Amino acid sequence: MTGTPLTIAVGFDGSPDAEAAVRWAATLAAGTGADLVAVHAVGLLEHAGIDGRATAHRQTVERIADAAGVDPGRVTWSVVDGDPCSAMLRVTGERPEIGLLVVGSRGAGRHHGSVLGSTSLELAERSHVPVTIVPTGRA
Amino acid sequence: MLIVAGPTGADAHDGGPYHPERPGRIDAVMAGIGDLHLGSDLVSVAADPAPLADLARVHSTSYLNELEAFCADGGGDLDPDTFAGIGSWEAARRAAGAGLAAVDALRDRGDGVAFVVARPPGHHAEFDRAMGFCLLNNVAVAAASLTAAGQRVVVLDWDVHHGNGTQAIFWDDPKVLYVSTHQWPLFPGTGRAEEIGGVTALGLTVNVPLPAGATGDVVRLALEHVASPAVDRFAPDWVLVSCGFDAHRDDPLGELGLSSGDFGRLARLAAEWAPGPGRLAFFLEGGYDAGALRSSVATTLGTLLGGIDGPESETTGGPGEDQVRATAFRRHRAIELAGESAPMDL
Repeated sequence: MTGTPLTIAVGFDGSPDAEAAVRWAATLAAGTGADLVAVHAVGLLEHAGIDGRATAHRQTVERIADAAGVDPGRVTWSVVDGDPCSAMLRVTGERPEIGLLVVGSRGAGRHHGSVLGSTSLELAERSHVPVTIVPTGRA
Repeated sequence: MLIVAGPTGADAHDGGPYHPERPGRIDAVMAGIGDLHLGSDLVSVAADPAPLADLARVHSTSYLNELEAFCADGGGDLDPDTFAGIGSWEAARRAAGAGLAAVDALRDRGDGVAFVVARPPGHHAEFDRAMGFCLLNNVAVAAASLTAAGQRVVVLDWDVHHGNGTQAIFWDDPKVLYVSTHQWPLFPGTGRAEEIGGVTALGLTVNVPLPAGATGDVVRLALEHVASPAVDRFAPDWVLVSCGFDAHRDDPLGELGLSSGDFGRLARLAAEWAPGPGRLAFFLEGGYDAGALRSSVATTLGTLLGGIDGPESETTGGPGEDQVRATAFRRHRAIELAGESAPMDL
């Protein structure tokens, strides 16, 4: 990667690790002037309203970005149908200005220590742009 | 004659009372079959766990090993939608095995229609991962067993959600024609008209995305106008249907507008695609409203077996006709752009 990424995409599912990822990405964006795109994947249950928390998630992202000093005009919220990994990859594919993906090391409810169901490891394997995995307890 | 493979999954793989993909779905399906009072025309075959060799045709060995170990270790949430517990590996293997048993029974008898009454469902499960309530891709396991024997298979998927897993597994397979009608946009986000198959199977993926509210006449138009020409040219030996009844208007996970009567009509179309008796099998996918599931199963099978009409008439007048016609154009354009090497001129 050369220079500063024009746009940073960060996955957010409401988990503590995702909050850490947003905090890390927002800090980088504030320091470099990059745009920040928060991506929220909507699965089957959330679509059905069984797990509908997107509005609260958006407010959380905006609060963290604001606290990090990111210009609110540089923060966008993207809701994408699909599983978290596919959603992140699709957004990256459709928006070539995205130069960096940021995710937490473990999403909501995931099995700790397993490759199975690990969005971060799948992204690291499949993404064509650099991926930063923010470890639990960092940022 | 109806061959019921299973039921399996009525007492296993339980994600809790708030999860819509629940064991009680099997009871609703069996109640729908019971409503037909088929007597001696109903034949049941057992759902044994699918052999690992059959699963490995469509899933990576590393994924299978890890899923088994994950379940044995107590399981947990694989993603925000998909769970697996200590009994889920066995349940998933039995669901896949039910599909194999259905195909075997049809082949042995050379007659009848099979219904795979099994859960967890399968069409979202990919080569190396679970998603969308699905652990193992049941219809893909059955289709791959047939293609391994040199057979050509149409997989018709009318679930409200696109079957991303089935599509991906057979993306480059010239022996499988995958046809899907589905609400779009909606989970899993795949299933655009321009998704037409890989370089060795160009045109053998047929996606017809539909807007929310689309009714049965629109789905029929999609299958007759967009898919049927491809099916005719493909000349399948078998037709396997991923029948998700969540395209029903009462389903809580989708917004299509179909009635149980529409599923009967779609089942007749699937039967017309099959080359003869004993070559048509239905696989339970979605369907999360118990009443709609029961009536849809009864009408789907009743229509085929005895010309029995269900309590709900077919639906018309919903949006999507223009979108279907545009899909046909976009498919042609995508195939043209993909080059002259397409195996079929669709």
